[in-house]
Amino acid sequence: MTISAFILKNALRNKRRALLSVSSVAASLFLLVTLQVALRELTQPPESSGAELRVAVRNKISLTNPLPARQRGVIERIPGVAGVTPFTWFGGKYKNEGGMTFAQFAIDPKALGTVFNDAKMDAAGYIAFNQQKDSCVIGKITAEKYGLKPGDRFSLESTVYPGSLTFRVAGIYSGTPDDRNMLFRQDYLDDSIGMPGYVGMWWLKVKSAAGMPRVIAAVNKAFENTSAEVRAESERAFQLGFISMLGNIKALVASLSTVVVFTLVLVSASTMSMAIRERFRELAILKALGFRRRELFAFILAESFGLAVAGAVIGIGAAYCLYTFGDISKMTHGIFVTFEVTPRIIGFSAMVAALLGIVSAIAPSLSVARMSVVNGLKTLD
Amino acid sequence: MAEPIVQIRNLSKIYQQGEINVTALDNISLDIAGAEFLTLMGPSGSGKSTLLHIIAGIDRPTSGECRVQNVDVTKLNESQLADWRNQNVGFIFQTFNLIPVLTAAENVELPLLLTQLSKKQRHNQVATALELVGLSDRSKHLPRQLSGGQEQRVAIARALVTDPALIVADEPTGNLDSHSAHEVLGVLQSLRRDAGKTIIMVTHDPKAAAFGTRQIHLEKGELS
Repeated sequence: MTISAFILKNALRNKRRALLSVSSVAASLFLLVTLQVALRELTQPPESSGAELRVAVRNKISLTNPLPARQRGVIERIPGVAGVTPFTWFGGKYKNEGGMTFAQFAIDPKALGTVFNDAKMDAAGYIAFNQQKDSCVIGKITAEKYGLKPGDRFSLESTVYPGSLTFRVAGIYSGTPDDRNMLFRQDYLDDSIGMPGYVGMWWLKVKSAAGMPRVIAAVNKAFENTSAEVRAESERAFQLGFISMLGNIKALVASLSTVVVFTLVLVSASTMSMAIRERFRELAILKALGFRRRELFAFILAESFGLAVAGAVIGIGAAYCLYTFGDISKMTHGIFVTFEVTPRIIGFSAMVAALLGIVSAIAPSLSVARMSVVNGLKTLD
Repeated sequence: MAEPIVQIRNLSKIYQQGEINVTALDNISLDIAGAEFLTLMGPSGSGKSTLLHIIAGIDRPTSGECRVQNVDVTKLNESQLADWRNQNVGFIFQTFNLIPVLTAAENVELPLLLTQLSKKQRHNQVATALELVGLSDRSKHLPRQLSGGQEQRVAIARALVTDPALIVADEPTGNLDSHSAHEVLGVLQSLRRDAGKTIIMVTHDPKAAAFGTRQIHLEKGELS
């Protein structure tokens, strides 16, 4: 017999309790991983390729305030700008859907190959989008969800503008971190029911990342003291500002995570205390046979650590497999497109499990250390 | 009398129970020779188990000296005492106190896990100890698969597997029928006679005490 075999036999002596302990740790760590990934997805959305060269320009007062279309010419003349497109929110409802189920934006069709060149589509789609004013391109996820294909026609009833617009699908794009949006032409919106001469915001592509700060400063300066002052910022900064509108979701998720960890510690500590209390007499015998405090502490710690690690492997492993190999978009009805269990989250959760194993072993170890052999032997089985 | 293996001088043990001091042992002096089978008798609360526990190094006296093989066990710290117990004392308890999830052989092997012996050496010593108590064929059995007498014989094998000079037994036949008790006492007797072990046994039973080479009586913490 080895020491590890002895520890294993002790840990599994009450199989039902061991199973329930491991399951509770596994379920809690699964939840912890889920919360951490959700927090990451909400606060750090994935960056698309080319994001480092994109600049968002919005009305300085608020994102909902439009910008005059005449600003385009000024922006295009700023050195370092490679491309500009309007980006106007439409807010349309599809068929009988109760609310808006995917976002739609009006853009300059040429921007698809320049400003938003991470969106990949076949050549026919680009040609159709450039030639037909009522055309649109749709992200793969939304196209699959509604069974839309090139050539199809459908209408959207706007929640921003009066009436509805009918669109013809020019192509299906993919390759962006969020292939759900629909992009259509700004000139179609202007000609139909929009506000000619106004756009929602601008997106620019700069020629080099090094030149971005200068371009941002130049854009901001260009419209200073005008009726529509702007706020230009990098795509990353824009996303973070947008996320801050969600409220303090980080604090909420952090609170939930803390509750999960705290509950987990209480459950594990209670389980270990119970398991050791039942074996007080046996531990007294081990002491009588010559086992020292540090060896008994090592036994208890190994048992506690083993249960926590087993739970962690199952819980974190299940979360990793589900979120890596499962269709998260389908599972969350499109709320999350990606749900990446990063090495950092795995490491954090594993560290929580390790600490859990150590903390749970402290109280029973102290009891055993303080126990005299004679008193321990008097303990009833 | 042969050279004493245990030398006790002016040993006292006083328990504090609230405001009251209870004297368990009162200034006891005693010598126990090597290869002696000493039986400690006396009524409940006379201090015989306390004396046994102090000699075995699992309890500490309030005052006095207890030397075992010229080591004053009252002066050792917790860690030294644990090592000393592992190397010098074998324990046999009334309720056997085997670990229920371990087989007979694994229970016997427990004290050897603290030694530097190889797996093969441990295996050999366990086999020898089980053979000495006549349980070689029960080595793979769990305690619940053994009779009371067999469990106590496994406990004896565990007590002698490290080859200690001293074996202490606290009412080892208290939970056994007369047949099993006779078997266990016979094993202890042969350990003294054939292996030269010093055995100190606490018992209430005069028949069991008769297996020893010397009997001493304790009454209210004093030798009588």
